[in-house]
Amino acid sequence: MLNLIGNYSLILALITSFILLFLSIKNFKSDSNLNFGIVVSISLQSILICISFLTLLFSFIISDFSNLAVYNNSHTTKPMFYRISGTWGNHEGSLLLWLLVLSLFISIFVFRTKKLLISFRILTIFFQQLIITGFLLFIIFTSNPFQLIIPTPTEGLGLNPILQDPALAIHPPILYLGYVGTSIIFSSSLAALVCRYTNKEWASDLKKWTLISWIFLTLGIMLGSIWAYYELGWGGFWFWDPVENVSLMPWFCLTALLHCTSVLEKRSNLKSWTIILALSTFILSMSGTFLVRSGILNSVHTFANDPERGIFVLIFLTVLILISLTIYFKYNDIEKLTRSFLLSKESAIVINNWFMMYFLGVVLVGTIYPIFLEVITKEKISVGPPYFNQLIIPFLIPFLFIMAIGPKLDWIKNKKFDAKFTKIILLILSILISYLIAKNFNTQVLYSTLLISAALYLFFISITDLKNEKLKLSQKVSHTAFSILIISIILNSLFSEEVSVNLKKGEEKQLSNYLLKFENISKMEIDNFTSLKAEIHVIHNDNKLKFYPELRLYKVPETITSEAAIKTSLFSDNLVVVNYLKDTNYLNIRYQKKPFMLLIWLSAIMLAVGGLIGLKKNFK
Amino acid sequence: MIKKIFKLLLLLFFFNLISYSFVKADNSKVDEISKNLRCLICQGQSVYDSNSDFALSVKTLISQKLDAGNSEDDIYNFLKSKYGDWIVYEPEINKYTLLLWLMPLFLFIFGGLLIVKKLFINRT
Repeated sequence: MLNLIGNYSLILALITSFILLFLSIKNFKSDSNLNFGIVVSISLQSILICISFLTLLFSFIISDFSNLAVYNNSHTTKPMFYRISGTWGNHEGSLLLWLLVLSLFISIFVFRTKKLLISFRILTIFFQQLIITGFLLFIIFTSNPFQLIIPTPTEGLGLNPILQDPALAIHPPILYLGYVGTSIIFSSSLAALVCRYTNKEWASDLKKWTLISWIFLTLGIMLGSIWAYYELGWGGFWFWDPVENVSLMPWFCLTALLHCTSVLEKRSNLKSWTIILALSTFILSMSGTFLVRSGILNSVHTFANDPERGIFVLIFLTVLILISLTIYFKYNDIEKLTRSFLLSKESAIVINNWFMMYFLGVVLVGTIYPIFLEVITKEKISVGPPYFNQLIIPFLIPFLFIMAIGPKLDWIKNKKFDAKFTKIILLILSILISYLIAKNFNTQVLYSTLLISAALYLFFISITDLKNEKLKLSQKVSHTAFSILIISIILNSLFSEEVSVNLKKGEEKQLSNYLLKFENISKMEIDNFTSLKAEIHVIHNDNKLKFYPELRLYKVPETITSEAAIKTSLFSDNLVVVNYLKDTNYLNIRYQKKPFMLLIWLSAIMLAVGGLIGLKKNFK
Repeated sequence: MIKKIFKLLLLLFFFNLISYSFVKADNSKVDEISKNLRCLICQGQSVYDSNSDFALSVKTLISQKLDAGNSEDDIYNFLKSKYGDWIVYEPEINKYTLLLWLMPLFLFIFGGLLIVKKLFINRT
């Protein structure tokens, strides 16, 4: 019954899509109000997709195993929270969520942009409907979440335990809000091109959507990273894993776009570039979905592989790229760029974009080069953290310095470069502090000094700028947050310490300055898993810390996960992870001291808050 | 103007040449090497992070080789000859990977030249 409701609402939504495509072509020339039929159809479509999503949600809640997706991904012993999150914890459900967000966004667009040009609005709806139609076809024909199993099984197969986690439960919806927000940016840019509507009015509307996507994408990436930090138990928070890279690429593009729209809004300059960025952002988001879903990437995150689905997404992606290219070259007029001066806010933003594109390039090349190389030459290589660190980190140094100076420049031409006394003092101070930090570690002193002082300088300047009323609050908050983020990441990688040892119950071992004791282990049956809790003592300079790391043995499906025991404080995290060593009664115990972890998360949140402030201001 | 930017680019290349390595003082050589190796039977984990049989045997092998006086590069080369380049996270520069390393840098230079041309030269 539920399956039928879900299925039919999807099919009806597809029919509505076709009606909408037809209506938007037919009414394109009308210059009065937005056609009533269009508004009704869009609302209807959203409601239909909503119904189908709620149906799936409900099937998961009541564990309706006649549904294949529920059977594959759920289990009656699973706690309610994870039954709900199980809805989007699988391929079919996550696509339905994509679709839901797509249709909700276009509804919001229709109701929020009443002041804008009518033909522009209709065309945006048209392009958005193209995307929605593609997704509906994809879902109905290759990944239907409402497939029946006859006879109905009595029990499900369970959700991958590694995904049963609060951060990961909300990570996909947040990330998708970011990804899908870029679809509106895409449709709106194509529409603006065709209508020759690429003006200030359009730019300020585009900026809102850019900010919305950027905020969600930032938070989504952060949540994924938090999850990796405590669930995968390696003590790291960023692995340059392909799936992580894929979410970072649209972020670079969006960040560039965010800055670029200001130039278009204030100076009517860089029109073509804004369009290129806007189109690429969505294409990158889609390619990301393609790469993750197709299973081409070898990654710890790949939990749903299916090459056939990959081919569908690939075709869809090609169509979207072809449409964008055709429209871009047909409608984009050669732009007369206004002259820029090197010392102006505009140039600073162009330089920001330049670096963003470089970072994007590194991540893009590093992620897809191995795939192409393997296809063409059969050579299999791995591109991991050393590659990304070597190519990205040196460029951060000039980038951070420019980021410190940029916001204070005037739009057109800076009258004079006011090298104030305090600024120079701050620069000297940053270099001194950094030198002291770098000198006490056996790293390359020159390199570390430069890197840390760039980050510190940005931090000092951002802090002193907080009082400066000429600057926008959103910019000040985000730039300060970014400087804290970078400093925390650098210091975290410099000061992290870890020791690892294999111990039996009752044993202890001294490793450098740390004494590790395996005191006890206790067994407990909880809902859908057996919990083995170890008691580990870490003694360092007469300071004793007790940790209770956990191993969880899940029955359906049979998996062991390791839950880190983390003690968090503002400046440092202490964590212990245990791992089971097969066929022995030893546990592998790893103690890590990770400075500034909390600051990394807090600054990422602050970054998003900066975006939120900007959004609020734009809606006034 | 162009000269200045050219100098800046040279400087950036210079920074890049000093390779990045924040190696912690009290971490052992085995950890350092195993962090740069892929665990072949795991999904997306390094040898260091994994406790699989494969990872454990590689770690033992590394410490044996180190005790026997082999250098870091010897160990990488040995593992590469045995398991292929796939096992190392840092791809060496050869004819297959030259573009991998150079493409982003070309992109950066190209972007810089484009900006200079479009925004600062040829203008009224």
